Amino acid sequence: MPADAPVPAGLPEGLGRGPGETDALLLLRCLLGPTPRSLHALVWSAGSASRALARIRSGGAGSDNDRSFLTNTDVIAIRSGLDRAGARLAAPGDPDYCPAFLRLADPPIAVFVRGRVLDHGDDRVAVVGSRRPTNTGMEVALDLGRGLALAGVVTVSGGAVGIDAAAHRGALDAGGVTVAVLGSGIDVAHPARNRDLFQRIEASGTLVSEYPPGTPAEPFRFPARNRLIAALSRGVVVVEGAAKSGTRITAEHAVDLGLDVFAVPGPVTSPLAETPLGLIRDGATMIRGTADLLEDLRLEGAASGERALPRGLSADEGKVLASLATSMLPSAVAAATGIPVADTLTVLIALEIRGLVRGVGGRFERTFKAAATQPGA
Amino acid sequence: MYGRVIGVTVLGVGGHPVTVEAFVGRGLPSLTVTGLPGAAVQDARDRIRPAVEHAELEWPLRRVVVNLAPGNLRKEGAGLDLPIAVSVLVATRQVPPKAAAGHVFYGEVSLKGEVLPTPGVISVAIAAARRGLRGVIVPVANAVEAAQVAGLAVTGVASIQEVVGFLRGTWRPPEIGTLVSQRVAAGSADLSEVRGQDEARRALEVAAAGGHNLLMVGSPGAGKTMLARRLPTILPDLTREEALEATQLHSVAELLAGRGLLRERPFRAPHHSVSTAGLLGGGSTVLRPGEASLAHRGVLFLDELTEFRRDAIEALRQPLEDGRIVVTRAGGSVSFPARFTLVAAANPCPCGFSGDPQRSCRCRPDQVDRYRQKLSGPLLDRIDLRLTIPRLTKDELLGASAGESSAVIRDRVIEARDRQRRRYSALGITCNAHLPGPIARREARLCPDAERLLGRAVDHMALTGRGFDRVIKVARTVADLAGADRVSEHHVAEALSYRTAFEQDQGLARAG
Repeated sequence: MPADAPVPAGLPEGLGRGPGETDALLLLRCLLGPTPRSLHALVWSAGSASRALARIRSGGAGSDNDRSFLTNTDVIAIRSGLDRAGARLAAPGDPDYCPAFLRLADPPIAVFVRGRVLDHGDDRVAVVGSRRPTNTGMEVALDLGRGLALAGVVTVSGGAVGIDAAAHRGALDAGGVTVAVLGSGIDVAHPARNRDLFQRIEASGTLVSEYPPGTPAEPFRFPARNRLIAALSRGVVVVEGAAKSGTRITAEHAVDLGLDVFAVPGPVTSPLAETPLGLIRDGATMIRGTADLLEDLRLEGAASGERALPRGLSADEGKVLASLATSMLPSAVAAATGIPVADTLTVLIALEIRGLVRGVGGRFERTFKAAATQPGA
Repeated sequence: MYGRVIGVTVLGVGGHPVTVEAFVGRGLPSLTVTGLPGAAVQDARDRIRPAVEHAELEWPLRRVVVNLAPGNLRKEGAGLDLPIAVSVLVATRQVPPKAAAGHVFYGEVSLKGEVLPTPGVISVAIAAARRGLRGVIVPVANAVEAAQVAGLAVTGVASIQEVVGFLRGTWRPPEIGTLVSQRVAAGSADLSEVRGQDEARRALEVAAAGGHNLLMVGSPGAGKTMLARRLPTILPDLTREEALEATQLHSVAELLAGRGLLRERPFRAPHHSVSTAGLLGGGSTVLRPGEASLAHRGVLFLDELTEFRRDAIEALRQPLEDGRIVVTRAGGSVSFPARFTLVAAANPCPCGFSGDPQRSCRCRPDQVDRYRQKLSGPLLDRIDLRLTIPRLTKDELLGASAGESSAVIRDRVIEARDRQRRRYSALGITCNAHLPGPIARREARLCPDAERLLGRAVDHMALTGRGFDRVIKVARTVADLAGADRVSEHHVAEALSYRTAFEQDQGLARAG
């Protein structure tokens, strides 16, 4: 095959099948030099994993680093390392290898997996967004995870802090199952603060990574990771994301794969609303929360029960809640409602205890819960 | 030939009377000092002879032995120069022994025979009065300070000649009355100058009324320092007893600058590079009070709390608990009073803009975590009031009406403090902040509504046991400010609102 010919989609038939092929695939996938795209091209031009490996060993492809890695490593050591991490290799055709990966322009030649075997009958939806979201974004992601879990849908996301973690937690807290696609090695808990979360995900769901054990988390690996999140899902929900973010990349992969893209809007002035608003303008479906998402996915919303209007709001509580257009100082709320400052504060604290209002930096604002319970207010 | 006078050595802030005996006998001319003299006292041996000769008095060209009693007490400071000189003059009968008896002599002398300003004079006067002595003879620069102690004849002298003249009855000291300091025109700072920030102004009032320590978290430029500086203006005036305590500390630290008695509550704002010794007191030979003691009966303001040395911050726990600091060195240990209101300020995150509606925070989540970790810990447990100071928008600043003046607020604070003093007279404490937790729960007297709100807060706001006690104490103070016997729902709600951005974020932080 000439070098400049376009690389075919999918992967060569029987890649990684047969004697020696599985080991060759494992070794190939453990090389840190080649990108997923160059590995994909290499297996196509070589025709099989073992021939691709031979080409690297002979200097026909790959780098000196790859060759020194191959001379210093043996398959047995790699396999025992995988066992120690509780991980396994999933080659095309394995139950753990999601068939939808093959629809990507550069499908992974194999992935590493921990936890439950991926069930291809699962309905999976991705929830992605910023690593530095607003409080509202966090609340929305938590609620989306919970709503999807209660509707029996598996939540897919990355392993980052912020929206990713909130979506996982929302789903897990509601007894749901999630899949996390990592941008680091399958055994590397990055970020460290999510270590507990990864354990919870693995207990009921699955961790997926394209990278061999020990690979550190590095920013250049995250865009490639995002294509797997999209491929694993039937739809992608974008909660918050800056203009040129990984979130945007995930959404673009979803568009390439022909998936449904949903976006939760934010204020036009907010940098974190740039990706969702841009997607909506490009034709993504705008959702205001979990109820909208479930409706669009034609799912019965078990989550709607959570949304009942809180009973017993007093007249003052209603007034205060209605006056909180933006994030406001207690004195400003008092001025807007005509309620004395001391009483306003009491009302605000009562509302905060009910989860309808939250204090941020000395000001108070409505929570997502309050927004959803006060249509039109 | 023998002479005896009384001097005082100041150790820490306490004055200790010292009997100074001089014996002039046969032998080569020399001066020996016995009785545990410290380094500064040893120096006096070479200083005193030229001083006496310069005053046109005679130094005995014989063997002079000076003994400082009690012999087991370490003697520090140059204040013993004057009594040593006078004891020799008494021994040589250049001064009548009877005239010198009953006075305390204190002051450093120069080679020219001048009596120089000396730290610790007020402690000397207090020790003299306690001993029942008739009068003190001190440097004229410090006479006003000594005159603050009642029932003591104070003589301010500028030279050894004047001392001798006074004792011989040939020289009369200037009237002290003319020197007594008036109240320094109260500084221009007033709480009414702080625009907007109604919630923070109110929190300062609560802190002042209940003696609560205060943490302010807010973006740079939000006004944390401006607010903290105005806390002393709403505290009750120093009582005479408190003023004497504070003046002693400032006197030994040589910070009185000619004033007699401290009238304003001290405000100390050490830079965050301060050492542990600088904050708590110490020194190698003479133990000096630290910033925490200089803030005694006033306000200690720690701006950029996270930048302070960890050990210095940890060491503040002792004064916050006991109201005093014990400094121990090879030479012995000294206790400095340090009962202050702590006001700490910090940014909400390393870049300072977390939670700011107009600027976005540039910190990574783990940086914020680490930063907040620094702010937690044992010191924070002793801060009842935590407050977020929002940076105000232009509209909020322009729309703000002028607030109440410090004087108006101080009247309410004084009333609230009186209520607490009456209520706790049997407990031996003066304000809500010092209530031990279990007693606070009993003494607070919550209405059923207040109990209910507090119960819901425990469930929904993740209040810890300590946090619960803090809310009760603060709610009690809010009720005292309102003149209420029982704590109502409103009071608890206000107390619950005094939380930092960190605590507000905690629910979500756990989620992500």
